[in-house]
Amino acid sequence: MSHSILSALSEDLLVRVYGFLDPPCRKTWRLVSREFHRVDSLSRTSIRILRVEFLPALLFKHPNLSSLDLSVCPKLDDDVVLRIALDGAVSTSRLKSLNLSRATAVRARGLETLARLCRALERVDVSHCWAFGDREAAALSVAAGLRELKMDKCLSLSDVGLARIVVGCSKLNKISLKWCMEISDLGIDLLCKKCKDLKSLDVSYLKITNESVRSIALLPKLEVLEMVSCPLIDDAGLQYLENGSPSLKEIDVTRCDRVSSSSLISIVKGHPDLQHLKASHCISEISLSFLHNIKALKHLKTLWIDGARVSDSSLLTLSASCRALTELGVSRCVGVTDIGMMGLARNCSNLKALNLACCGFVTDAAISAVAQSCLNLESLQLESCHLITEKGLQSLGCYSKRLQELDLTDCDGVNDRGLEYISKCSNLLRLKLGLCANISDKGIFHIGSKCSKLLELDLYRCAGFGDDGLAAISRGCKSLNRLILSYWGELTDTGAEKIRQLEQLTHLELRGIKNITGTGLAAIARGCKKLAYLDLKQCENIDDSGFWALAYFSRNLRQINLCNCSVSDTALCMLMSNLSRVQDVDLVHLNRVTVEGFEFALRACCNRLKKLKLLAPLRFLLSSELLEVLHARGCRIRWD
Amino acid sequence: MEDEEEGEPNLHVFKASSSGKDNNNNNNGGQASVQGVKAQAWDPRTMLCNLSFMEQKIHELQGLVHLILGRNGQLQDEQQQLITADLTSIIIQLISTAGSLLPSVNMLSTTAPGSALFPFPREANNLASQTLNNGGASQELEDDAEEGENLPPGSYEIKQLEKEEILAPHTNFCTICGKGFKRDANLRMHMRGHGDQYKTPAALAKPPTKETLPGSDAPMLIKRYSCPFPGCKRNKDHKRFQPLKTILCVKNHYKRTHCDKSFTCSRCHTKKFSVIADLKTHEKHCGQNKWLCSCGTTFSRKDKLFGHIALFQGHTPAIPLEDTKPSAAASSQRGSSGCGNSNNNAAMVSFSLGSAANANQETSQPCVMDGKTSFEESFSPLSFDICNFGGFPRSIFDDSFQMLISSACGCSPINGGVGSVSDTSL
Repeated sequence: MSHSILSALSEDLLVRVYGFLDPPCRKTWRLVSREFHRVDSLSRTSIRILRVEFLPALLFKHPNLSSLDLSVCPKLDDDVVLRIALDGAVSTSRLKSLNLSRATAVRARGLETLARLCRALERVDVSHCWAFGDREAAALSVAAGLRELKMDKCLSLSDVGLARIVVGCSKLNKISLKWCMEISDLGIDLLCKKCKDLKSLDVSYLKITNESVRSIALLPKLEVLEMVSCPLIDDAGLQYLENGSPSLKEIDVTRCDRVSSSSLISIVKGHPDLQHLKASHCISEISLSFLHNIKALKHLKTLWIDGARVSDSSLLTLSASCRALTELGVSRCVGVTDIGMMGLARNCSNLKALNLACCGFVTDAAISAVAQSCLNLESLQLESCHLITEKGLQSLGCYSKRLQELDLTDCDGVNDRGLEYISKCSNLLRLKLGLCANISDKGIFHIGSKCSKLLELDLYRCAGFGDDGLAAISRGCKSLNRLILSYWGELTDTGAEKIRQLEQLTHLELRGIKNITGTGLAAIARGCKKLAYLDLKQCENIDDSGFWALAYFSRNLRQINLCNCSVSDTALCMLMSNLSRVQDVDLVHLNRVTVEGFEFALRACCNRLKKLKLLAPLRFLLSSELLEVLHARGCRIRWD
Repeated sequence: MEDEEEGEPNLHVFKASSSGKDNNNNNNGGQASVQGVKAQAWDPRTMLCNLSFMEQKIHELQGLVHLILGRNGQLQDEQQQLITADLTSIIIQLISTAGSLLPSVNMLSTTAPGSALFPFPREANNLASQTLNNGGASQELEDDAEEGENLPPGSYEIKQLEKEEILAPHTNFCTICGKGFKRDANLRMHMRGHGDQYKTPAALAKPPTKETLPGSDAPMLIKRYSCPFPGCKRNKDHKRFQPLKTILCVKNHYKRTHCDKSFTCSRCHTKKFSVIADLKTHEKHCGQNKWLCSCGTTFSRKDKLFGHIALFQGHTPAIPLEDTKPSAAASSQRGSSGCGNSNNNAAMVSFSLGSAANANQETSQPCVMDGKTSFEESFSPLSFDICNFGGFPRSIFDDSFQMLISSACGCSPINGGVGSVSDTSL
């Protein structure tokens, strides 16, 4: 009967219906019928591949893909890519976006093949590929139509490689070179000369000097400039921007130690349309002239002045003129008190994000004022605001219905009553309660019963509650995917049974929990199938049965920390050989594992490891072939 | 000592050998310029040059007359002579310039008594131009010149050595034993061995040259040199002759341009030189030109390469070959090891099939299955990760653990995969 109804729907209709579905629903949609499956295959535009074995088949099944994510596909290497290229049946000509983040085993040969194969390629992400060097850059430069390129932490990339990309892909309008430590002024200068269409540029953490800023200022279309922590750039360099880059909208000079407010003033003078000014931890004081110039920015939406000395009067002047402000960062600002915050709340009612971390003088009065007037508040950081008590949280619960993120780490004033108030913020997605010593099962129970949308919960070193609280969380917050329970002494195997019910959990930190045994870990492994990150450091009482279960069930595990665990040779070998997606492993201080055990275990997983932490003596005890193979596959070993 | 080519070359020895040609050198410059004008059919450049020269002269003359007018019109004899000389030179210049246009006038220009007035009275010109400060025309003239010092033709003396003299290894010879030396100072040192008369301070002192002789009070003409190679730009018969400044320049120029490059760099074995000093300079820096452009140009400095790339469209830095070598060697090694252990390869292929291609896929999608087998096969010879290393095939190793786990856990196989991928390995 149902079959006939479904068959009455035309394919066009099915495609339209499919268009309204969100990703989890699409997953179930696929299972309805062959026809539905076909619609899904044809309509799907983006895919994230977990296992490389299925890559050709999946590419074949989904001919209309425009975005391909291979960042969590650890076994991907040059040969796979070449195989796909030789296959020919796979159509990749529509692919526009390619994510190769952490795909360290893909080198120049594979990249060139990919770049030739995907002719329409516009966006590529090769961030965190530490082996991505000049030859890889040269290979990638074949993709002439590239618009966006992310190369964060490509540690081997030098100016020569950048020059290849710049000459090959002159249409680039967004490039990120964060942490590419080899890049110098010459590379940046060439980039600015050749890619005149550049709109967004990230040069954070580079050792570039004022010369680079002079080149950057010549970019006619630049809108976003991020230069976090560039230690060699000073005021003289930033002065170039006053009359350069006319369309600049956003600038981030956070932690540029040599930059002072005078150069910021010159930037502000030259760009009255600036929308986002991020200058955390670089200016020491908000001077009158700075305030005077900031006032002229009528479109200012974001202002970060963390770490500066801000007086109440300057905060009042600021808020009186920049009424469009939606995001304000004043963490670690000396001099922020209730008077300033109340004035701010009065003037800037559009505020969405407020960072007040370590502003020790802020009290409930300020929080109440903010909650009452800024009804759109979505994110509030109150880390280490010790004067905040349940009263402030009460007004948050009453008024801030849109609050999504609340950081109460290390707030002594938070108690069960406070948590009860917070639980009224039903849209809460992320809640951080680390180091809050005054909460018990009762408070956690309120959170668990009301905040059903919660995605992330941080209970780091919270001492006062037990398994019952966890039971409430596991009953109420079904969509929780990130749970931090490190150093919480009371967790036992019973609690682990509760964690098991959180099926969406992907990130779990159980560091330093002594009471959990193999049974508990086995329960977690059975229940949380999506687990990708697991921290078991110093969980000394987990025996092999737990690890065996982990090896058998947690097939999606990507990162695991086993330091100081009592795992045996065989269990470790099983873990490493069976967890086929594991990329990042910490194996320090494993007392029961012999050198042979390490050798076997690492041999079993050497084709997919990207990051590995081992004790330094093992460097000389492990076979050199193994280390060579690990290196050749793009694995980085940190010797502890 | 012998190797150093720098320092003041010994002039007077050459002078002695080339003195035979001195007689025709005096008027050479002037004649050369007239011949130059005559030889070419109609060169607008030369024409412009000549015209502006005349313009300048007329201006100067005008200035002189003005000056005389300022002194109540008293015309002294020498001033009159100066004006007459200038006027004559202008007329001759005009005729010779016009002569280049009209073939019929050519005869006239060659017969014109120019030799008396050439070379031009340069000192007077300079004086006039300084007093009147009308540097515009002369500035133009100098900008028009291509390169070098741009001495007006005829203001210097031209010498030309023969090929044999230039290439002679030694230019100073001992009159007693016949031994040759590059420098006269070395010869004088050598002469001390032939007797006490050569040890006196007078004999050891540097012999005075013509310039330093107190008797010659007449201003010396500047000496310039011509290359004996016909058709060379440094040859005095070339229409845009560029003289060489010193004998050393002549020697280096002749060797560099008209001789075989017989010295090869011992490091790169590609660069060749005809002057030893050039070779030595190159060898000092050979191998340091590590900055290479895709067009083949090398640079010793990175910023120079980047400047070059910024200037030329489509040029990119070339990645040095050193980087490719290790990986290429590794891959060939991998390939050979893969071929050598064909047994293990077979085992490995079977492993890959066992673990990767699961039952679901085989039953539901036969076409994909086909793709998959070929996919795994192609995986084998080059991908060394699955390939065995260190003696034990990974396939067996892996499979054994799979079995171990299944027996140890005693659980039924479950579907552990998430997303689009299902992955039961057993």
